[in-house]
Order: sequence, then structure tokens, then C-alpha cells
Amino acid sequence: MQIQVKCSCGAEKCPEWAIIELQGVVELQPSFQDSLQNLPIGQLCRPSSQENYTFTIGYHELTGSKVALKKPMVVLKKIKRIDVDQSDGGGSSGASSSSTELDVVGVIRHKILFKTRPKALISVKEKASGTDAVARKK
Amino acid sequence: MMEQPQSYCKGAEVLLNLQPTSSVTIQYHPHFGPHDDLILLELDEKFLPDVLYQRVTLRGQPDEDAVLCTKSKTFSVKFVGNSNSVFLVPPADYSTSHENQQDCDGDNYKQKVAAPVIKVAPGNMELVEVAPRLDKLKSILSENLYGSDEASAMEDLEFMETSMKKLYKWDDLINKVQASDDELKAGLQALSAVEIDGYWRIVDEKYMDMILRMLLHNSVLNDWSLNALIEEKVVSVLESDGFPRKLAYHCLNVYGSRVEEAMDGGVWRLDARRVCVHFARRILKEGKRKLESFMEEWSRMIPEEMQPSFDMLEGEVLTEKLGVETWVHALSVSSLPSTPAERFAILFKERSKWEWKDLEPYIRDLNVPGLSSEALLMKYTRRSQPSIDAEPVFSAR
Repeated sequence: MQIQVKCSCGAEKCPEWAIIELQGVVELQPSFQDSLQNLPIGQLCRPSSQENYTFTIGYHELTGSKVALKKPMVVLKKIKRIDVDQSDGGGSSGASSSSTELDVVGVIRHKILFKTRPKALISVKEKASGTDAVARKK
Repeated sequence: MMEQPQSYCKGAEVLLNLQPTSSVTIQYHPHFGPHDDLILLELDEKFLPDVLYQRVTLRGQPDEDAVLCTKSKTFSVKFVGNSNSVFLVPPADYSTSHENQQDCDGDNYKQKVAAPVIKVAPGNMELVEVAPRLDKLKSILSENLYGSDEASAMEDLEFMETSMKKLYKWDDLINKVQASDDELKAGLQALSAVEIDGYWRIVDEKYMDMILRMLLHNSVLNDWSLNALIEEKVVSVLESDGFPRKLAYHCLNVYGSRVEEAMDGGVWRLDARRVCVHFARRILKEGKRKLESFMEEWSRMIPEEMQPSFDMLEGEVLTEKLGVETWVHALSVSSLPSTPAERFAILFKERSKWEWKDLEPYIRDLNVPGLSSEALLMKYTRRSQPSIDAEPVFSAR
């Protein structure tokens, strides 16, 4: 079968999406597990005119910079026209029903990359935010 | 540098246009979730216009790994995981159910400036250029060859309908075969396929043989030169001999090339190599032959205007010495699989040791993007040289 990759975003007007990439994972406190909507993760700050950024999550501060991707990425949205086949979860093998369409919804050219481990700001135990950064080196 | 006043307060825009000495809250999107339907696809800048202008498709059956095709190239699609956390931030207007745009100015600016994260991407898809998977094209078209019985039953509707089930239109082929449009067209041409009544067909070699022999016969009768065949004459005479017009034209296409364009079809020249190879194949279809008897029969079959030479049969026949005798048998490169592993497996089954001059015609068409022919040889063969000035010999790894 053939799946046409569509682009309803209008070619050159395709909106730019952004990526924030950091080492490890941001772990939620269990009490917030079910109420994520609009929950703040942290504060991203650009302290100077350089493309350097800090990302403060709880009491951890990450330092990073905005980088252009070596190759652009497009954001594809898989659309099932008829809701028959739900088994195709992984998204890696394309599609399993003839009603699948792929739509380009965005393009990504930059990411704000935090490649270093977080620095502890203070050693107070209590948490002001619902999230906490935990660096887990793989 | 004076920056323009900030005009965004939400989404990817604010992140990408964040002004010096300002900050933005990164938060979970109202629709944050796994969003398996959102896929990141990394691709070369040069292919971006193809994607944005809807010139790419994904092709493959449910049991095949999908490939992505541009007009001229085929790519396999691979998932590459990322152990970092990749927060994906859509533009402000991404979700329609998002609360109304807030004014970026005013007192509550500080609270409202935010970039929502819609998902954490576990990785992205990557493209790797691959050779088109054309072996399947050959196998599905070979299931139902176009032969003389079908040609004579043109008007017989019942016949048409019973054979309908294994016929393929262009649209069926692009659904079945993992190749770009250009590669598929080239593949059809390499197979000498022809579009008959909207269906792509391979014509049975026996039937092609009948048409070619009749064409050669007619050229003798009418004193035509094989270097200057008038299309209109050739086709209409073959038609009166009972061959469909389309097939008469196809015969010119397979064994010749047009040397002159004209309003009424132009002038064709038969290609000596293609005609000679055709007759060599016909002879060796029955099995191997002693070289002398093969050469004698071959020369006899070939039209007088053409000079057969054994070099023409490169990639078509193999010779072997059995005692004092030299024998020839058919091994056509076009009958071999196009994936290197399968190709070399069959070649080394045919003979365990190959000299370069014999091997080369059977591997020069192998096309693996990113692998040179030297690299292919390194990967699939063992090279040995009995002595410094001897020819290298290739055997299976």
C-alpha cells in the first residue's frame, strides 16, 4: 500500500516546532502524576544576548545553548481515517490499515540542548514545584 | 543590536525567539501525553521541499518494513532511540482547544509567557537510502506472462476476465513494490515490460521470439535494412501477420532503438547485441551445448546484416572446460536477484571460484547506496592470488 505524506501546513509556511533536550529524565512527584495539565516544569532563562540558556527545575539548574540541528526534522502526525485498527501502536512500521495518513504538522530546525548534569542551587529539602530533575547517566 | 519587541508569548515561538534577559515557563501542555501519533522524521535539508510539497510517499505491505520514496530515490525508515529527554514544544496555535491567546503585554505578562511540552519523544525516525526492491516487480509480473494465446483472444471477454486477477496497473504496482516512481519505471524498462490495456505485462519470450522472427522474415521479403526500419511499414505488416499493433511496436522497442523521429513514427535500427543475445538464449534454453555446435547454430539464426561475436554474451553465458571440450550454458544476469547476498550465493553455487573477467559482468549492476563495488567484493567474497602475477580468484566467504 501507499501512504501519501501530506502537508496541510502549507509548505514554506510550515510552523516551526522546538525541542528542549536534556540528559536524564524529569521525574514527577507521584502526587502530580494525574494532574499534569499546565503543570510547570521549570523556568527557561536567557541571561544574555548570547544563545546560552539556563533551565531551572526545582532546585536544579541546567546550563545549555541553542543549537541548529545538523539535519532538520519534520513532525508527522499519523491520522487514521477509519478507526478500525488500534494495534499499530509503535509508530515505527508505518501503518497497518489502509486508512492511515501522515500529515506534516511542523518542522524542527533548532533545539535548546542541556548536555551537562544539573547543578544543585541550594540544599533545601522542600520542593516549590511539582517536578524535580534527576540526572540518570545511562 | 536592537531587538524588535517580543511578539510571542506562547509555544515554540517564544522559545525560539526568547529575548536576552528574559525567561519563559516550560510547562506540560494541556494535552501532554505519549502521542504515538506524533513522529519525528529526520531528513536531509535537500529532501525537505519534497516532503513539504507532498512529493513523498511511504510504500510497503503490512508485512514489509516501510520505505519512503521521493520521485527518484528509496529510503528505508529506521527508528533511532534517544536516552536524553526530548521535550517537544509545538507552536502556540497547534491545538485548537487550547485556551484563547493571551495578550502578551500587560501586568500578567510574567505569568502568561509559557512554552508547553506536548510529549517526550523517545527518539526519531531516520532515512537510509536503499536500493529499490525490484525483485518483487519481476516476480509478480512473471506470474502471468502475456503470450500468443492471449493476443489471439483479444476480443474474447471471458478470457480477459478470467486472467484479470493477476494483472497490475501502475497504481497497483506502486502499492506493491517498494521503489520510487523513477526506479519503478526503470525497472519496468529493464524487464522489457509493456503497458497493454492499462496493465503492465512481461511478454512471454516465446511470443517475442515469434514476433522478432516474423519481423526479420519480413525484412528479407521486403528488402528492408535492419538499420533503417520504417516504423509504420514494419508495424502494419506485422499487424497483417496477426500480431497486435502494440506488440509489434514493443518488439521494435525491445530489440531496437529509434534513430529518427517523424510524424508517422520514425525510423528504427535493430540492436545487434540484443538480437544476438535473444537467439543465444533461445538455443541455450534447451541446456548446455558444445561451443562449436552452439556457435554454428547461433551464426545461422542471426540475420546476415549482423555479426555475432562471443563478447556480446557477457553476462549471458558461461563457458566451462570439460576434458578437451568447451561447453557453454546460459546464465543471464537479468535472471539473478538484485540483493548482493542472494546474488553472490547463487553465483558461488554456480561455480565456487570465479576469475574477475567472468565475475564482473554478473555483479556490475549491483546497486547498494553507499557501498562501492570494492566494498561489496570485500564483504561477500574471498580474494586469493595463487602467485603474484596470476589473476586473482574470488570464492565464497
